Amino acid sequence: MPESSPGYFGGFGGRYVPEVLIPALEELDQAYREARADPGFAAEFAHLLATFAGRPTPLTFAGRLTEALGGARIYLKNEGVNITGAHKITHCLGQALLAKRMGRTRLVAETGAGQHALATATVAAKFGFECTVYMGEVDIARQRPNVFMMERLGATVVPVRYGSRTLKDAVNAALKDYIASSADTHYLLGSALGPHPYPTMVRDFQSVVGQEIMTQLGQAEGRLPGYVVACVGGGSNAIGAFGPFVPHESVRLVGVEAGGKGDGTGEHAQRFPHGRTGIVEGYKSVFLQDDDGQLSPTHSISAGLDYPGIGPELAWLHEQGRISFAYARDDAVIKAVDLLARTEGIWPALESAHAVAHVIEFAPRLGRDEVVVINISGRGDKDLFILADAFADQEFYAFLRTEAERHGQQD
Amino acid sequence: MANRIDERLAALAAGRRKGLMTHVVVGYPSLASTSALIVAMDEAGADFIELQIPFSDPLADGPTIQSACEAAIERGARVRDAFTIAAESSARVQAPLLFMAYANTVYRYGTEAFCRDAAAAGISGLIVPDLPAEAARHEGYLDACRRHGLHNIVTLAPTSTVGRMAANATVASGFAYCMSRRGVTGAQLGLAPDVQAYLQRARQHLTVPMAVGFGISDRARMEQVLPYCDIATVGSALIDRLAGLEPGDVARQADTTRAFMRTLTPALA
Ligand SMILES: Cc1ncc(COP(=O)(O)O)c(C=O)c1O
Repeated sequence: MPESSPGYFGGFGGRYVPEVLIPALEELDQAYREARADPGFAAEFAHLLATFAGRPTPLTFAGRLTEALGGARIYLKNEGVNITGAHKITHCLGQALLAKRMGRTRLVAETGAGQHALATATVAAKFGFECTVYMGEVDIARQRPNVFMMERLGATVVPVRYGSRTLKDAVNAALKDYIASSADTHYLLGSALGPHPYPTMVRDFQSVVGQEIMTQLGQAEGRLPGYVVACVGGGSNAIGAFGPFVPHESVRLVGVEAGGKGDGTGEHAQRFPHGRTGIVEGYKSVFLQDDDGQLSPTHSISAGLDYPGIGPELAWLHEQGRISFAYARDDAVIKAVDLLARTEGIWPALESAHAVAHVIEFAPRLGRDEVVVINISGRGDKDLFILADAFADQEFYAFLRTEAERHGQQD
Repeated sequence: MANRIDERLAALAAGRRKGLMTHVVVGYPSLASTSALIVAMDEAGADFIELQIPFSDPLADGPTIQSACEAAIERGARVRDAFTIAAESSARVQAPLLFMAYANTVYRYGTEAFCRDAAAAGISGLIVPDLPAEAARHEGYLDACRRHGLHNIVTLAPTSTVGRMAANATVASGFAYCMSRRGVTGAQLGLAPDVQAYLQRARQHLTVPMAVGFGISDRARMEQVLPYCDIATVGSALIDRLAGLEPGDVARQADTTRAFMRTLTPALA
């Protein structure tokens, strides 16, 4: 364990929440440690992953993309084939099992893109939990299809109307709900961040992704990858894919952040190099903030990466020089979606397309004996409207107009 | 130099009186308001005044204070303004002043520098709601408070276990801040149904006086908790009364504050 003292990864992590929440977090920590020591828990988790979520997800050799780029051999870990279309279902199943074990009857969750809350609403339906989702008003507007599905699954979606009305404000709102409701509620946090034990717990659940990559690539190539590349919002898909490789020094781990539209404040969500250490939303890590410590506005074409903080373990691994960060701008991301769809028949989520965009940039410079694995954290169905807009698809606009008329709306 | 919180607590004890703590968000409704509101509160009988330094992501605050923080930041309030206003006001008022700040504000400023400058500005105590005892120790915050003669006001909640109460009691100084319920600040929601039993439990662990806050919106609520504590804290209810006023109309804000406080202070007798 890299933790220097409980809940810390070097100087990052910890538990910086109001006293009122400490007993609930201590209870959660205790319950999680007991569950981890219980083979029955691991077996039930593995069974659900296999029979419900769809694990193991495939590791696909991207032959035509490799050809097109003319460099390293590229593999895609396709988390998009999970039942809800992204890796998030994995930590949702793990936490739902834990919540059940703790006798909780209600789940609250925050969401950006909606993928995490869609997965939360899904496990709530499957296990019979009540479910409340906090989502920024801005994100609701850009990810309506996910809101629709969450509501069909029985969740209540509460718009967050303060702050920047995006993911960070949804985390804030969900934590406040949990402060008031922890007696019967589990806060099903959607990334490897927040107060201890969340970063550890989410990493542990997600590390199945990295373990599968290791096994599957071992079968395909008989060796470890040279690179594992993942997009980084809060860091759940990245730490899951990276975790098992951390001790293998030869494997380079690359996190790709949202470069947005440019380097100006509010135009991106690149914690590296623009972030500074801070304490926000219950944990100490690197945040985009001003000199007074107020969180900065962020931008990304993908709601899931539009967040000013980052999981503490990733911040620590970066400080150690064990992982590096890169970024992809919005326009490169759109091109990456296009190229991956055309060459591989895989339509990545906009978040995941950041990792693809970065590989498109550096794979041609690598030799043909190098192996790069990209974690495709999710599929792109949810981004239909954003992509139709990005590709200025006139036929799609016409379709939307007809639909709107059919629903009796004016524009 | 004696800490003004201690002096006020001693005076309350000597007069067998209960105390009132009031709350201002620095820069709300406007930067010009803050000093005037502090003076008005002091004149109207506040025993302690909390100056909240606005933060973009306040975890312990409900809609009233969160919106006030947002408005203050939007209208240009900076962290350094809190120090300037404290320095100005502490010389003019009798009531001890406290800073209420979130951990990131303190951390960014530098924990040691924050405590040093706060003390130099006449601040007597700090409330940092997202620095529970373990984190406070980890950040060197407890030592910094001690070095600069600031009281570190710990928080207790209805969820606090016996173990947590005991652990907090060992680092409590000045007085302890007991949340009246599970949840965030705000005048609308009530107190915990078992608030009295919980306050009695807290009393057994603490050697310092107890303040109660969250949801204390009028004299009736004050009278509900005062038999079980030493200080009632009124925050959101005061700010709610400023929300409808012109940000620039400082005189009106001060009058409104004084008028509302006149309805509260009879509960202290
Ligand atoms: C498909 C997908 N990938 C990545 C992310 C970013 O989250 P994280 O960095 O925790 O993996 C999201 C978040 O919504 C997502 O939906």
